[in-house]
Amino acid sequence: MQRLLTVQDLVVEVPGRNIKILNGVSFSLDAGQTLGLVGESGCGKSMTCYAIGNMLPRGLAQAGGSISFGPGQSGSMRPTIAMIFQDPTSSLNPVHTIGYYLETALYRHQRLKGNDARLEAMRLLERVGIDNAKSRLGAYPHQFSGGMNQRVMIAHALAAKPQLLIADEPTTALDVTMQAQILYLLEELKAETGMALMIVSHDLGVIARLADKAAVMYCGKIVETAPVEQILRKPSHPYARALINCMPSIDPADHEPPVPIPGSVPLLDNLPEGCYYNPRCPRAAGDCFRRFPPLSAVEQAHEVACYHPVAA
Amino acid sequence: MSAPLLETRNLTKGFGQKTGWLAKPKFLYASSSIDLKLNSRERLGIVGESGSGKSTLGRLILGLTPPTDGEIFFEGVNHKNRSTRGWKEFRVRTSLVQQNPLSALNPQMTIGEQISEGLLVHHIAGRAVAHERAAKMLEQVGLPSAMMTRYPHQMSGGQRQRVVIARALILDPKLVVFDEAVSALDVSVQAQVVALLRELWQQRDLAYVFITHDLRVVRHVVDRIAVMYLGRVVETGNIDSVYEWPRHPYTRALLASVPSMDPTIRNIQPPIKGELDVAKIGGGCPFRSRCPFAIEKCATETPVLRTVGNQQVACHRAEEFPRPVQVGREVA
Repeated sequence: MQRLLTVQDLVVEVPGRNIKILNGVSFSLDAGQTLGLVGESGCGKSMTCYAIGNMLPRGLAQAGGSISFGPGQSGSMRPTIAMIFQDPTSSLNPVHTIGYYLETALYRHQRLKGNDARLEAMRLLERVGIDNAKSRLGAYPHQFSGGMNQRVMIAHALAAKPQLLIADEPTTALDVTMQAQILYLLEELKAETGMALMIVSHDLGVIARLADKAAVMYCGKIVETAPVEQILRKPSHPYARALINCMPSIDPADHEPPVPIPGSVPLLDNLPEGCYYNPRCPRAAGDCFRRFPPLSAVEQAHEVACYHPVAA
Repeated sequence: MSAPLLETRNLTKGFGQKTGWLAKPKFLYASSSIDLKLNSRERLGIVGESGSGKSTLGRLILGLTPPTDGEIFFEGVNHKNRSTRGWKEFRVRTSLVQQNPLSALNPQMTIGEQISEGLLVHHIAGRAVAHERAAKMLEQVGLPSAMMTRYPHQMSGGQRQRVVIARALILDPKLVVFDEAVSALDVSVQAQVVALLRELWQQRDLAYVFITHDLRVVRHVVDRIAVMYLGRVVETGNIDSVYEWPRHPYTRALLASVPSMDPTIRNIQPPIKGELDVAKIGGGCPFRSRCPFAIEKCATETPVLRTVGNQQVACHRAEEFPRPVQVGREVA
């Protein structure tokens, strides 16, 4: 399989202050593969995506590590990465029509103009499941529902013919019925175009549905990475396990209420000594309070950063 | 059994919508002919897509918006017959927890002031006693009483929602309406708040109306559930029997839409297409435009709630649907 994306020891920090938003994140992604990023708010999932898309917010800077994409280096990678976000309605410019939005993207990425661009925009809209595409081209984002706008965002992403689509919580703001439709659409598009996908979600159901492999993040570090089945069935890191136990079950036979994780995520400017998870971890002892554990393999393609991993 | 804590009869709320200049406003119903009963200490979940009218129902129950038609009884008293004083008493006995705790809290008041405010407004306690009770309440929701002097911006999202819950419970209400109270929280914090709601219910004489679109969470908070579609209750019953054997095609679609934690379940066709369309309300079953099982009768005759199995369902074909095999298949 062809390697598409390699992230090595990525560090993102607030310059001048010793706050590391991302603290040595490494992973790789092959062409056509899907990676799921999981973790609580503030763990750096979105920031990893922004760093890869070369769109870190003002005030943050990449302070170390490398991101290499495809055959080229980070400079030439922008055209083939596309990104969609959690809140589609605020991601779209309210003063432009859907047609204008798609046609400008088609011009930029494929040099399509006039009628060609219009026809292609219609085809894309139909592909993402918007009926009556011709009349919808003149519509504005406020005339669409959240689910429709997310479809428009996906169509816009497709206009770039991306090799990698980054989806940052794409269905979190949507109803469960619309979520099912968008997830199916992403599955179809992946199969059709062969693009790789990076999906960020705090809903493990979404990760289970789409991802081939998953990475669990905590306070700017990856603490466990494995094929998605492994992580869901045999989580090794106590945090990964706790996250899974937080998911309320809908199985009628399972009456166990979700098990909360005690405490809360530490602030990035006040991280505990040693493993960042140690104040909340029932297994913390000895070295956990001295050094952050390195990622080490427990099985093939399954790595955990923990001195006392949960046995399978 | 004595009179229910809360009862609605034929509760209807319409919003006029102008279709054109000078045009006669068309009425869209956010809730139509809703009959609900809630006993004390009962927990009712209300689910549905956005636009199904679930939040409107919550607001109607609390008297925050007047109904177009129908009646609401709380502890046997009709909302229509409440005096100003009666409303004041009602406000003591009910409360509301909303989705976004940051906008529900006053940024200029300390946590302690906000929690004790209700006691002062209703002349239930003096300043010193109110302060003491607020500190106790704060500890009951799992926060240190030292947080009394903090401001909302100094807390995390989960802590703020605990504060809102503390404020809602300080007057010892009989009924609390939760409107998407855990939807904006992280899964781990959500689990904490769910545990808190279960614990508080154990300790107190409380009834819940829990409005949410999250079908996973609601199952662990409530005893009974009502599924709404375009202002109507389409299925209602005991939470376990509805999840085990959903009888209405809409309930079935909702449950089947929840992505499973089993990574081998993939490429599942979405159970229903499109989304809730308010403009499509007309005669007949409100769900028929999206229902894969709609027949002629569905367009002519509006189905009413009737008993099928262990629950009540508003569908002409409710008996025909088998017990689903896939719902809730999860990783062990």
